[in-house]
Amino acid sequence: MNSSQLDTISVKTSDNVTLGYSVAGLGSRLVAQILDNLLAVPLTLVALLLYGAVASVFVTGSEGAGFADAGAGFFAGFVYFGYFFVAEAVTGGKTPGKSAMGLRVIRVDGSAADFGALAVRNVIRVVDVGVVLVGIVIMFFQPQTRRLGDLGAGTIVVRDRAVVSLAAAVAPPPIILRTPDAGPPIDGLDRIGGFERDALRVFLSRPGLSPKLRADLAADIAKRLLDRLGLPPGAPERLWPPELFIERVYLQLVQLYP
Amino acid sequence: MSLDAFIAERQGRWGALEAAIKTAKRGRLRNQSASEIEQFGLLLRQTSSDLAIARRDHPDAPITEYLNTLCARAHPLLYRGRAWRIGAIGPFFATALPRSFRAAWPYIVASLGLMVIGFIAGWLAVDLRPDLRASLVPPSLFDEMARGQIGTGVQDAPFAAAFIIQNNIRVALICFAGGILLGIPTALVLLSNGWMLGTVAAAVQLGGYNYQFWSLIVPHGILELSVIVISGGTGLMLGDAILRPGQLRRGEALARVAVRAVMLVLGAASLLIIAGTLEAFVSPSSLPDGVKLAIGGTVGVLLYSWLLLAGRQPGRRRVPWFDRPAETPA
Repeated sequence: MNSSQLDTISVKTSDNVTLGYSVAGLGSRLVAQILDNLLAVPLTLVALLLYGAVASVFVTGSEGAGFADAGAGFFAGFVYFGYFFVAEAVTGGKTPGKSAMGLRVIRVDGSAADFGALAVRNVIRVVDVGVVLVGIVIMFFQPQTRRLGDLGAGTIVVRDRAVVSLAAAVAPPPIILRTPDAGPPIDGLDRIGGFERDALRVFLSRPGLSPKLRADLAADIAKRLLDRLGLPPGAPERLWPPELFIERVYLQLVQLYP
Repeated sequence: MSLDAFIAERQGRWGALEAAIKTAKRGRLRNQSASEIEQFGLLLRQTSSDLAIARRDHPDAPITEYLNTLCARAHPLLYRGRAWRIGAIGPFFATALPRSFRAAWPYIVASLGLMVIGFIAGWLAVDLRPDLRASLVPPSLFDEMARGQIGTGVQDAPFAAAFIIQNNIRVALICFAGGILLGIPTALVLLSNGWMLGTVAAAVQLGGYNYQFWSLIVPHGILELSVIVISGGTGLMLGDAILRPGQLRRGEALARVAVRAVMLVLGAASLLIIAGTLEAFVSPSSLPDGVKLAIGGTVGVLLYSWLLLAGRQPGRRRVPWFDRPAETPA
């Protein structure tokens, strides 16, 4: 796996298989938060306009206007925080912002976040957002980027997107060839088979080998192959450069055992 | 088995699982038939076992990463708590809420204690320092007492009710949420609420308006203060779970307590709708003081009979998503 231990959590399932979840980072969490705010803030403003319209129709005196004004602030707060709670409860842990970033809330035991857990993390959001920066500071220092609400609810935000598609995972890795030409037929290929073909493919598809190391490995493999093929001491194949020899053996093997 | 043969033999079921994940709507399998869900479970178990094999035999192959992601996406679809349903609201209020109220009694008593301390301190402050009275109590209260009437006749009662309800729900939720900061904000809210009540009560006592004052407070106050005390109790539950996690890790102890606590505070906060309506419509109304006190007393008796007596029969009407089986410590 590419990801380090720090940003994955391991969950042991009831089938006794360990699943690795990659934890959402601070960056994607914040971008998701900004995207959600692009929805939540206009929603709150629209709700406030409606509230104001209702108030202007029904309020009769100065005392009532005072109550209506003071109530408007609370009302805005309920709509704003309610957006996140309702969005998570309806979608099973993906607000539109999280969804766009491929994030999802789950419980730390790997099961889906239920109503109670979502209620906890969204009520505590008031502290995370309301007390200046506390949520972000905690997320910065918490190894799994959990904010206070996540700690209280036993939830964690993970990446929910398929990292590797089946097609990409199944496709054979690219072969690094210097000459695509299979060359003259090599004797004794009937002595080896699919196993050697797979082994050569692993060697030929290894990226990032330094040229010297690759040449050394190739010389070693070519020596063993020459012995396995039982080629006589004077055979021309023994004079080919090892890497060229390996490539030609591989290309001819692929033709023999596709 | 070679990697190619492994993939060729089993990729059919992986594709099927992937397709099943795509059909799950809103993170749930609710729209699927029983046999489809059974099939989903089978596919997930088979794919999990393929993942275990791939981990052992091909730890660095991309297919291992693929299988892990596939299982990780499918797992929460199948493993989840009971869903919240609208039909569970009845049993929740009938049994689960009173039960968790009683289970939380030490915290609720502590919460009440904090409020009483604030009340006594506020009372003493007004009583002992007449020079500070004007800054401790809203001056308008003295004006109203001088005119012989306090707090009667709220204009636009619906807006007053909305304001009061929202403010109290906000206070209740802050009491709960403050628990995450070791309960310190919770304690401050409780002390300051007790303090305010204490200062006003002392000022009214000095002005000789006792009966009229309590007729203004009692109709809604019993309900409202009870809810604030309960909310404070839930905040103290969180703080205590962090400070004294026992055998568990702090995070686990906290999460275990928090789900029960949040349902208690949400249930209690819904009572504030009744309290706020009484506060705006009944308390300042021109009803005789005796009637107001009687209404308050009735509300109090109903509230505490419900909280202390409801749901005592063991095992009856459990709320599936709330009464979770006890989790074993990891």
